[in-house]
Amino acid sequence: MQPKKVLAVDDSKLMLRMYEVMLRGTPLVLAENGLQALEVLRQHRDVDLVLLDINMPLMNGLEFLEALKKEGRLPGLPVIVVSTDGEEDQIAKGLAAGATAYLTKPFDAEKLRAAIAALPENP
Amino acid sequence: MNDEPVRSNPAEGSGKELVEELKGTLEKARQLVRQLENQLVRAGVPIPRGPDQELAARLARTEADVKELAAQLAASERQISRLMNLYVATYQLHATLTPEEVLQTIAEIAVNLLGAKKFVVILRRDGGQGFEVALAQGLEASDAAFFSGEEYRGGEVGVDATLADGVLRLAPIPKSTMVAVVPLKVQGELVGVLAVLELLPHKPALRPEDRELLDLLSAHAASALFAARILATKDRRLRTLESLIKLARGE
Repeated sequence: MQPKKVLAVDDSKLMLRMYEVMLRGTPLVLAENGLQALEVLRQHRDVDLVLLDINMPLMNGLEFLEALKKEGRLPGLPVIVVSTDGEEDQIAKGLAAGATAYLTKPFDAEKLRAAIAALPENP
Repeated sequence: MNDEPVRSNPAEGSGKELVEELKGTLEKARQLVRQLENQLVRAGVPIPRGPDQELAARLARTEADVKELAAQLAASERQISRLMNLYVATYQLHATLTPEEVLQTIAEIAVNLLGAKKFVVILRRDGGQGFEVALAQGLEASDAAFFSGEEYRGGEVGVDATLADGVLRLAPIPKSTMVAVVPLKVQGELVGVLAVLELLPHKPALRPEDRELLDLLSAHAASALFAARILATKDRRLRTLESLIKLARGE
């Protein structure tokens, strides 16, 4: 898919800056935790892709996915979980919670672009 | 499913488009040659082998050029990716003048860009007496022998060697279980090390491109941290001085 607007959610300032650089040219909105991300999504209804960290304060990635489900935004909104946790059971947990794809850190711009390009146009 | 890559960089997009366009044109040329040959066969005209062979050779050369161009483009994209990581790491290290935030950034670089699971930052104490553990992440009880508490007393062979000679060491390090020991320098002077004890499970080893990131940390992490610490110390002294002046004036 080719996203029109991306929401990047991560409590690491470094990662948020990384997304800004890697996705330059694509409109991007940022959030530092799941709670903030929900608010940003309400303000930016045109977000059509979410890049989501798992381990975050206040509301973690899995809780955010649950909240999205309750709001009826899943499975319509593609979510790529981006996490340092690469264990099989964690990946399964993320996908079961409603994520469309799972990308492990560290990654580079090529991998991120490939993960986005591999997403279905209508999840 | 859309096979079209995401184009966040117009320059990269145009490079890929050019290669794809060249490939398409070559395929069209091949089809045209085949159609022409079929027409000639049907019309009973002998196929002129000489020019055809020359054309085939030129086609092969052009195909080889396109392949080389595609390989160069892929290499450039990999290089751009590496440079992006280095740029963001440097930017973020110098984006703050708070010592805690600089340490946090070093930790974020180690985890998110390097893939470190367990690591410590050891710094020479003010006045050059001993070493402090300024940052430790992911350590377990089994690692406590060398890195417990706030002081590094020595004993880890790889760490001690780098603290002595300032040379970056990568696994396998003789008599050491460290994955990497990175000297941290300020204006060329060794002030400490970043020791990586273990990588994330899905990253079995450091890659050649990680070396650039380690070199960056070696050159920038300590200077960013020391600049922040100096500013914090000066700020504290300034506030103390201001308080004393106010006290002396009876304010």
